[in-house]
Amino acid sequence: MADAGAAEAGATFGAGPEDDLARAALALARRFAAGATLWCVAPGWPEHARHVAVEFVHPVIMGTRALPAVSVVDPDPVPALRSTVRSGDLLLAVSTADDRAVQSAMRRAGAWGVTTVWVGAGPRPQPGAADHVLWADGPAAVAAHDGSVVRIYHLLWELTHVCFEHPGLVSPEGAQAACEPDSGCVTCSDEGRLAEVLASGADTAEVRTAEGPATVDTMAVGAVRPGDLLLVHGGAAIAVLEEAGDGA
Amino acid sequence: MPEGTDFLYPFIEGGERDAGPLLLDLARSAVGKHGVSVALRTATLSAAGSTMDATAGAMGAAFAAGGRLFSFGNGGSATDAASLAALFSRPPSGRALPARSLADDPAVLTALANDVGFDLVFSRQLIAHASAGDIAVGLSTSGSSRNVLTAFAEARRRGMVTVGLAGYDGGEMVTSADVQHCLVVGSDSVHRIQEVQAAVAFALWEAVQQRLEHDDG
Repeated sequence: MADAGAAEAGATFGAGPEDDLARAALALARRFAAGATLWCVAPGWPEHARHVAVEFVHPVIMGTRALPAVSVVDPDPVPALRSTVRSGDLLLAVSTADDRAVQSAMRRAGAWGVTTVWVGAGPRPQPGAADHVLWADGPAAVAAHDGSVVRIYHLLWELTHVCFEHPGLVSPEGAQAACEPDSGCVTCSDEGRLAEVLASGADTAEVRTAEGPATVDTMAVGAVRPGDLLLVHGGAAIAVLEEAGDGA
Repeated sequence: MPEGTDFLYPFIEGGERDAGPLLLDLARSAVGKHGVSVALRTATLSAAGSTMDATAGAMGAAFAAGGRLFSFGNGGSATDAASLAALFSRPPSGRALPARSLADDPAVLTALANDVGFDLVFSRQLIAHASAGDIAVGLSTSGSSRNVLTAFAEARRRGMVTVGLAGYDGGEMVTSADVQHCLVVGSDSVHRIQEVQAAVAFALWEAVQQRLEHDDG
């Protein structure tokens, strides 16, 4: 919260940590209003996943609504998430940026149709690794235990509930009408879509995308395996995405 | 169409469409709450100085003599109890110490809650596991959670060192003879209390590590 000045002065809405928090809270509120479940993972610190989930499910402030949130505390949460998350859901991870299981879940979120929030400390994830990155100051080993990380998701919960006081901005109709200028619409643009391979055949694969299951042509990329992430364009896989962080 | 004067306040009818003002409000609110949390941490740690010293001294002596730490709490305080136990048992540096949370095992918790009642879910585990010289650390933002207070009573019966982390005005914990060391975060926001209780727990861990290091040297 170091560069709080812009928001305090009411100046241009910026890129400070408080601005990131505000955007994440509005995104959560909109998704919840549309029926999302919030999936919470924290492979290295399972207590944080549980804390986030209980925060939303059983609010401490009277009058705030209980929201569907679930902690998945498996060391590798990807298999459980893959089988249960639905398009439109939310995924919140609390971890360091180098957590392999979280990296894997974040990479797949696009194919699952899930909006992602990554809370952590220490070196930040690569830009674009999650839809919303909320990072604490200081070394991760300290921030995870001294209340700094807890404060981030507490604030996220508090701000999310403030958003519900603005139904026009949160309801599915309102959220659509109130599209922010900088939020590009991937669905109708000419970009490739992310797909996760469910099963592969000769020259085709059954895949999962944010819009649902599909069969895609894999001629251009060669053999694929279940779990592979593909970039799909016009019904054909145009690339197999390598593990994030590369060199990995 | 809106009627009367509603057209002056379109957001009342859910017609609000510009997210800009809300985002600015949210960001301002985040900055304010963050500031409150940091100020509360500073005030709490400086006011608790001598209590922290005494608490860390008792805990350090107990660990040095082979004692183990058991932490407990409900809800967010259960997860904070787990975080505290993880910090002591899998520390980023220093000596790993025997510590675990009594709120982690759903089989044990549901068995006890179902068979003997929720007030006894922690005290019955202390009967099974703990003995004189062990450490009981209970967290309760109200300071008055029944199962936490019951566990402190059992802990004292067994000769354990008892440490309570409370919020608000300290609740029943602050006057209970069963809580030898009580650290109160004086706030009426559960969120701010939990954030600062974590900072208190971290400061306690650092102080215990320093004492053990000093003893070793």
